[in-house]
Amino acid sequence: MDDKITASRRDFVKGAATGAVGGLLGGMGLYSYTKNAYDRLPKVAREQQEFGAVRSVKVTAISETSWFNNAHLMEDIQKSGGLLVDQYTIGWGPFGNGKGPGKSSYAEGIAPIKAMLPNDLEAAWEIQTKKALHPENPGGFSSLLEVEDLDGSKHKYLLDVGWSYAWMDQAFKREGIDEMLKTGEIEQLILTHEHFDHFFGLPVAMKANPKVPTIIHNGFYKEGLQYIKDSGYQGELKIADKEMTLIRPGMMLIKFDVPIICRVYGETSLAFNVKDKGLVLISGCNHQGILQMTSTAYKKLKYDNDRFHGLYGGLHISPFEDWDPKYDDLVISLGKWDFEKVGCNHCTGHLTAKKFVERGYPVVRGTARFRSSSPDYLGNGDTITF
Amino acid sequence: MEADNRGLSYLESRKLVKRWNGPWPAIANLLLIFAVFYATWWVFQDPRGIMRMYTPYVGYMVCRWLLIMLIWLAYIFDFWPFNHAWLQRTHPVVKGLILSAVCVAAMEILIKGFFMGILGKYGIAYFNPERLQAMGLTHFYAEEYATEAIMMFAAIASWLSPSWVVACENAPWQKLAQPARGITIAVVTFFLGTIVYFVTMHSHMAILFYPWQQYTAITPPYWEEFANTVSGNFHIAWIMSCTVIVWVYEGIWERYPFNLIQTAWLRRTSAFFGIIAVALCLCFFLYYAQDLAWGESIRGTRREMAPDWRWLHVGESAIFWLVGVLFLNFFCGNYPTKYSRPVNVFLRTVISAAIGMAVYFFYYRYAHLVLGTQKGLSHPQQFPMIPMIWLINLFLVNIWFMDGWPGWKAVPKTASERDATAEEVVAHDVKWTPSLAKGLAVGATAGIAVYFGVIAAMPWVGQIQMIK
Repeated sequence: MDDKITASRRDFVKGAATGAVGGLLGGMGLYSYTKNAYDRLPKVAREQQEFGAVRSVKVTAISETSWFNNAHLMEDIQKSGGLLVDQYTIGWGPFGNGKGPGKSSYAEGIAPIKAMLPNDLEAAWEIQTKKALHPENPGGFSSLLEVEDLDGSKHKYLLDVGWSYAWMDQAFKREGIDEMLKTGEIEQLILTHEHFDHFFGLPVAMKANPKVPTIIHNGFYKEGLQYIKDSGYQGELKIADKEMTLIRPGMMLIKFDVPIICRVYGETSLAFNVKDKGLVLISGCNHQGILQMTSTAYKKLKYDNDRFHGLYGGLHISPFEDWDPKYDDLVISLGKWDFEKVGCNHCTGHLTAKKFVERGYPVVRGTARFRSSSPDYLGNGDTITF
Repeated sequence: MEADNRGLSYLESRKLVKRWNGPWPAIANLLLIFAVFYATWWVFQDPRGIMRMYTPYVGYMVCRWLLIMLIWLAYIFDFWPFNHAWLQRTHPVVKGLILSAVCVAAMEILIKGFFMGILGKYGIAYFNPERLQAMGLTHFYAEEYATEAIMMFAAIASWLSPSWVVACENAPWQKLAQPARGITIAVVTFFLGTIVYFVTMHSHMAILFYPWQQYTAITPPYWEEFANTVSGNFHIAWIMSCTVIVWVYEGIWERYPFNLIQTAWLRRTSAFFGIIAVALCLCFFLYYAQDLAWGESIRGTRREMAPDWRWLHVGESAIFWLVGVLFLNFFCGNYPTKYSRPVNVFLRTVISAAIGMAVYFFYYRYAHLVLGTQKGLSHPQQFPMIPMIWLINLFLVNIWFMDGWPGWKAVPKTASERDATAEEVVAHDVKWTPSLAKGLAVGATAGIAVYFGVIAAMPWVGQIQMIK
């Protein structure tokens, strides 16, 4: 009798153990990816933080051509070991050491030019033309933002500083940026992220105004922070460590903590509430993804007409004219946000611009001047006003 | 000694015996494996290291195909052309080196000879980097696209090849001698893999190019609406889940519960499709769990909010569990073993899942400090599957090729042990009784309750700050 009970208990336990795994798997399989399961997800609560408004925002693409030969750039990356390699070790100017791809370092690169920064940039870049990989290839990304307040006053901001000293010096002169920096017209330098093509040209801006108030993402690596010092910066560096930083009424800096290729971490982008029009989003590279930015802004910010009005910047979709099916997801989905004006360039990629146009998105075309390669999108010297 | 006369493979005919008592064998092996892992990682994969194959797709392809070669040599070819006598008398370290070298050579031949050479030159252009480059792609992306396609083939093979051995018991070719059996199963699973590739990954590759290659592939792909993405990562999710469940079924589940089925064809068919069914359950749960933890995915976003990344992360998460499964199976003696098989299976499932979650957490918190990678969850060019599969490969080399050296040594099984292994194909320790049925009902209810408890907790889990 006892044996029977024991056997019965054992069978019960065996069944219970099997049933538990089965029940768990059954729940996983039969419920997880169903409409009922998704109905229980909480609706996204919109915080809709008020942050003021501006009358207009004008953007001048000082330079959107980060590099001039994509094959050369990719060759350098490939020979260095791919997209995860630290940008300071690749051997690009101004951190080339003449040892070849992937064998450089911040310390070795900066040593021969440090004393020349920021005032003797021609000599510094000349040294780099002998040591760096494809020294003729760098250009850079930089934009001038002119924000008009509701009272009509205007305020200028510099978004990124490009890459090549020689190219950026020329580009700044072309658009009068050097003078605006010298006179203090440019109120703040916003360094969106640490990437070579947005940041390595810093001494060019420092030459004009080493005290310009500057804000960076708190994900900058120690080499980047050191480069700011080595570039001759003498101002007060502001480090964005919160998701939202109000730059001025109607202008919000949004911080995204994302890992990025070539060992960079984090990017900041800008949101503007343009009076009676709606939200305008402006980015350097938008590594976080443009729709990530729209959905963050949608959840967190309050803006006029509750609609997305405009978009400008590198959208980081096919920067190397590469492709991935997930980019098509973006191209397909962007339409839902119904932007009225799309000013894209730089790392957006020409193929992406072509696909945007095919879908009927309002992409603003450029003039293909100053070495911008195509009128597909806004090029060097082109402007867009929101 | 040639193949065992009961038809047992080398792995089935040997018994691994601990060299020392206590945890020391496991500690010694893990120290050795981690040392070799880091050395080989630095030489082959690390973005700061020597060969820097983690571009990422070149390194991704290599680690995946190496896994397949290990499986083919040990499981499908039963170590042919090496005979059992050689395997028994050769020092484990020598075996490990020679057999690994054979796998690397075979992988090179397959990748360069078959995929890039034959298939890429005479069949489908995207398998051959030179062809892509000649058509205007940069050298870098030509290699990345070609290796991505070849890597996807390996993902499918990592499920189908072992599945034929584990679930289908090599049927109907189980009585063939080597290498006929190995070649037959390799060819058959490769053929099935090719079909699966064409209906899962070919469309993904076709929309890499502009315009979408609609005359050679289905574009947009048929899964778009269901998966909320046109990316083939949707298939990576369930296929990698299948890969993991094959080894769960083989290792910690001891082929339970399908081994209760006495009729051979029914047992094999049930096991094969049962693995897929369990994998789909896991796949859908892991996707849903992410939506609960981080908020519902938004199509077109990048990174962790994007559906394509979340499908990929299903496969990545499953691989973390596989590390736990193999660790428990290989280095902890398939702990626990003292209870009935169903209870052991239940406990091992819980323990291995806990280990997998711990590995997941520690990987994302600390791995970037040693692997030369970037902190963060969703770097678009980082795949945690690369270091995890690299580690799993070393587990397999250690246990399959090196008989668990230095902590363990292989001794031939006794005749009775061999008989028991041969008979073990069908389990007799669980029989249908009213008590079993009651237990099943109670257990299933509890399992469902646990499931709903887990999904209720996921939003809280999502608040845990993993990345610092």
